[in-house]
Amino acid sequence: MNITVLLKQVPDTTAKITISDGKVDENSVSKWSMSPYDEYALESGLQLKEKTGGNLIAITCGPERAKKMLTDAAAVGADTLVHISNDGVTDSTHVQKLLAAAVKKFDSQIVLCGKQAADTNGGSTGPGVAELIGAACVTLVSEVNYSEGNFSTIRPSNSGTEKVAVDGLSVFAFDKGTSELRRPNVRGIMMAKKKQVESITSGDLGVILNSSNVALNSQNPPPEKPAGQKFEGAEHVNEVVSKLRNEANVI
Amino acid sequence: MRIMAYEALDFYDVDSLLTEEERMVRDMVRDWVDEEVIPNIEIACREGVFPDEWRVALGEMGVLGAPLKGYDCPGLSYTAYGVICRELERGDSGLRSFASVQGSLAMYPIWDFGSEEQKNHYLPKMASGEWIGCFGLTEPDYGSNPGDMITKAEDMGDHYLLNGAKMWITNGTIAELAVVWAKLDGVIRGFIVEKNDPGFSAPEMKGKHSLKASVTSELVFQDCKIPKDRILPGVKGLRGPFSCLNNARYGISWGALGSAQACFDSAKDYAMSRIQFNHPIASYQLVQNKLSWMLREITKGQLLAYHLGKKKDSGTWIPEHISLAKMNNVDIALEIARVARDIHGANGILDEYPIMRHMANLESVKTYEGTHDIHNLIIGRHITGIQAFTREA
Repeated sequence: MNITVLLKQVPDTTAKITISDGKVDENSVSKWSMSPYDEYALESGLQLKEKTGGNLIAITCGPERAKKMLTDAAAVGADTLVHISNDGVTDSTHVQKLLAAAVKKFDSQIVLCGKQAADTNGGSTGPGVAELIGAACVTLVSEVNYSEGNFSTIRPSNSGTEKVAVDGLSVFAFDKGTSELRRPNVRGIMMAKKKQVESITSGDLGVILNSSNVALNSQNPPPEKPAGQKFEGAEHVNEVVSKLRNEANVI
Repeated sequence: MRIMAYEALDFYDVDSLLTEEERMVRDMVRDWVDEEVIPNIEIACREGVFPDEWRVALGEMGVLGAPLKGYDCPGLSYTAYGVICRELERGDSGLRSFASVQGSLAMYPIWDFGSEEQKNHYLPKMASGEWIGCFGLTEPDYGSNPGDMITKAEDMGDHYLLNGAKMWITNGTIAELAVVWAKLDGVIRGFIVEKNDPGFSAPEMKGKHSLKASVTSELVFQDCKIPKDRILPGVKGLRGPFSCLNNARYGISWGALGSAQACFDSAKDYAMSRIQFNHPIASYQLVQNKLSWMLREITKGQLLAYHLGKKKDSGTWIPEHISLAKMNNVDIALEIARVARDIHGANGILDEYPIMRHMANLESVKTYEGTHDIHNLIIGRHITGIQAFTREA
């Protein structure tokens, strides 16, 4: 079975983001990492591969630097590494088209991804790719299991969780999963070093990137948090309790 | 999800000189230390135990015996081995000691001087962490002067008989096997002693104020009987144990930088947030001078360790190069720990901060694997051609 995992390299959740001229300054990002929800998708893909055998294909669409993340994926067990150049990509529909074409090219039976990327938080990749390849799509899943040709998955429902079974080509978009991404080991790292990253372009995939209807005007940092409030002495107890109850909503 | 990723002080971007593989190994060990070691180290120290989960994890990561090739060993570069030691020792010197002893002092002599049967039998299980090894050279009365050791082996025809005692043996009590150096007909030879061999015991030494999360033991041999095939065939004389020590000392020269960085990080954070006289103490010149000195010494130490790693990997090193790096980097790490304690004021003595633990650990590290003074004498001999270890020529 071919299992595809869609990955995105994002600024590490601890990296400081600076904005210059209304745009995020990518050069100032000190550390790039795999998007955390994608890590759950990758771990689930590795577990499926262990149960069913097959080939785990890690695909990303991004700049050159994203190849490092594919090597990291190889270190924990990804078999085929595919980097799609993001030249000419201006919005998320372009990314979906490229990823969908790559998923078809590598003939996958199942596609796993994060529910959203930690940088843009768009959340459109999973459903968008599913639409383009004509696959079923289940979002916000925490685990995916396989038995006798069917996939089943757990996702939240109105009254708790629900178990959804899918057959045929399916896309699963992960929320926080049940198992953390495994740690690599030296053997995996040494194998990853030997693994080639297959680099392809929109042209190779036969995808024409039409001009985008979406324009990104500017990006702004989130507003600064207001300064904390400090109270000293027993005479403030009532005021503090009232603030905790009515403003902070924590008690 | 990952907790806050550690960003190391690397003022001259020395780590940019590492290969991608070396950086991946670094990140793997660094993340593990952040997630599993640092949250648990103070409890391990209070209880005086080396957590068994750490043995398992080191085996699973595949870092034990890092630079050794074949026999299921990792086959990494010496530079990667150094980086691993640095990352482990940022957690704790006791943890790095465990890895140093396993890799450089127990696996290495079997790998270099053992028979093919010995290598196949012991090395795969030691690389996976299943079997822990220890190294018996130092004796109660022979530390810096191991050549005059008392422990001896006798050839009894169908077996060897060992008699004597070793002291200050890291991992001794928890080890499956010990590589023991003893005199056979007056010549120092290496023997593999297994924990259940008759006449062998390894009582733990208690009461340490240093390396508390590391097991330190005596090894006692009372008519200890071992099979003939347990002698290491490939080496005679002090060259055997000294080759092991060269590798371990090399790892320490990187490891000490890990401790130094942990102390620097803590001192910097503390100085930035501690308010006295209405301002953070980091804004005062005396404190800045201390932090600046720490950064200067750590940066020099990093360059020393990295270049020594290249020399180890290219085979262009001499033992004196290792003496210099071990001596210097442990020395500055200990001094950095002391200055960091000073910056932390009274808080520096609490185990809420890693300072006193690293400082106490480094007192041992300064002494073991060739004391600071002995390394000075090794370099002194190199400069002058005159040995000053003993008054007898």
